[in-house]
Amino acid sequence: MSAKSGQEEYWRQAADEYGAALERLAWAYEADPDRRRDLLQEIHLALWRSFENFDARCSLRTWIYRVAHNVATSHVTRKKRNAPVFLTLEDIEAQEAPQNVEESADRQKALARLLALVQRLEFVDRQLILAYLEGLDAESMSQITGLSAANVWTRIHRIKNVLVRQFHSGGTDAK
Amino acid sequence: MRSDYLPDDLKRLWKELASNPVRISPDDLRREARKLWAGVRLRNWFVVGVCCIIIAAYGVFFFASKTALERIGSVLSIAGAANVIVQFLKRPARTMPDFAAIECIRFYRAELQRQRDFHRGRGVGSWLLPLLPGPIIFNVAFALDRPMFAPLVKLQMAGFLMAAAIVVPLNLRLARKYQRRLDALDAAQNQ
Repeated sequence: MSAKSGQEEYWRQAADEYGAALERLAWAYEADPDRRRDLLQEIHLALWRSFENFDARCSLRTWIYRVAHNVATSHVTRKKRNAPVFLTLEDIEAQEAPQNVEESADRQKALARLLALVQRLEFVDRQLILAYLEGLDAESMSQITGLSAANVWTRIHRIKNVLVRQFHSGGTDAK
Repeated sequence: MRSDYLPDDLKRLWKELASNPVRISPDDLRREARKLWAGVRLRNWFVVGVCCIIIAAYGVFFFASKTALERIGSVLSIAGAANVIVQFLKRPARTMPDFAAIECIRFYRAELQRQRDFHRGRGVGSWLLPLLPGPIIFNVAFALDRPMFAPLVKLQMAGFLMAAAIVVPLNLRLARKYQRRLDALDAAQNQ
């Protein structure tokens, strides 16, 4: 397989298998639809270019998520105006509890609430919770973020608890 | 709701988010990559072009000048512009960073440091600062030799100083903001 066809092959695999996950990742970093489309295109372009040098020293999935998170981080850090307000977990916990999910009885609203919570997390927490929501294991999360596996689990546990508490006030079912 | 049930439900909910699969082809990506390179080249050539105009203009001023101070100002301006050209040609054109090379936290730290240093004036200072003394000396010399232009030069200098008085503190404030985020990142990693 030549380098050029390998690059295209890897990118096709990334787009086919992780296209939806990459789109969700873009949602987590960019609320504006136009900018989100730009970000997604930027991620695909960065992946395309990165596959010139993909040496399979890590899994394709780790590579893809690392590139995607780094592009998104760069995208948000570059943005000077309307910069999002990042909250620590303590800030989020201190906020007023959101409306109960059963009361809204609407999955779209529930999804929007989840998205809003994710979008306001600091980058490291956001990267971890995204990896968690996408079903990645601790080792992959560690390889993507650079945190130790133990640190990953501790943080995931904390973020998950805060999200769950924020998402459901009063212990009701999301379904 | 049970806490051991909720996270899975959130995962299922999260997966409902993506709806529009990306419609982009390898040809689109090749085209975008070429456009990116073309954009960087165009920007570099624009800067080089502006510097060439500055060099040509001060070259003319050098020969047309009546005083030694004006000539010194012209030479320094030419040297400053030449320095910018050398910096641009020496630095390899970079369209985008190597996103795959490092883990997310190191990348984030590097981005924050880059932004902080930019707002502190590092990098920009290396090519902008050498560009400033020449025109300032030339303008002062010009005003000394032609007193009728002195108010205009004073106004120009006052404007420059006022802009600096606004821009510098603003940038330093932004630099402090990035430093705070770096500190928070360090604290998060050391937890």
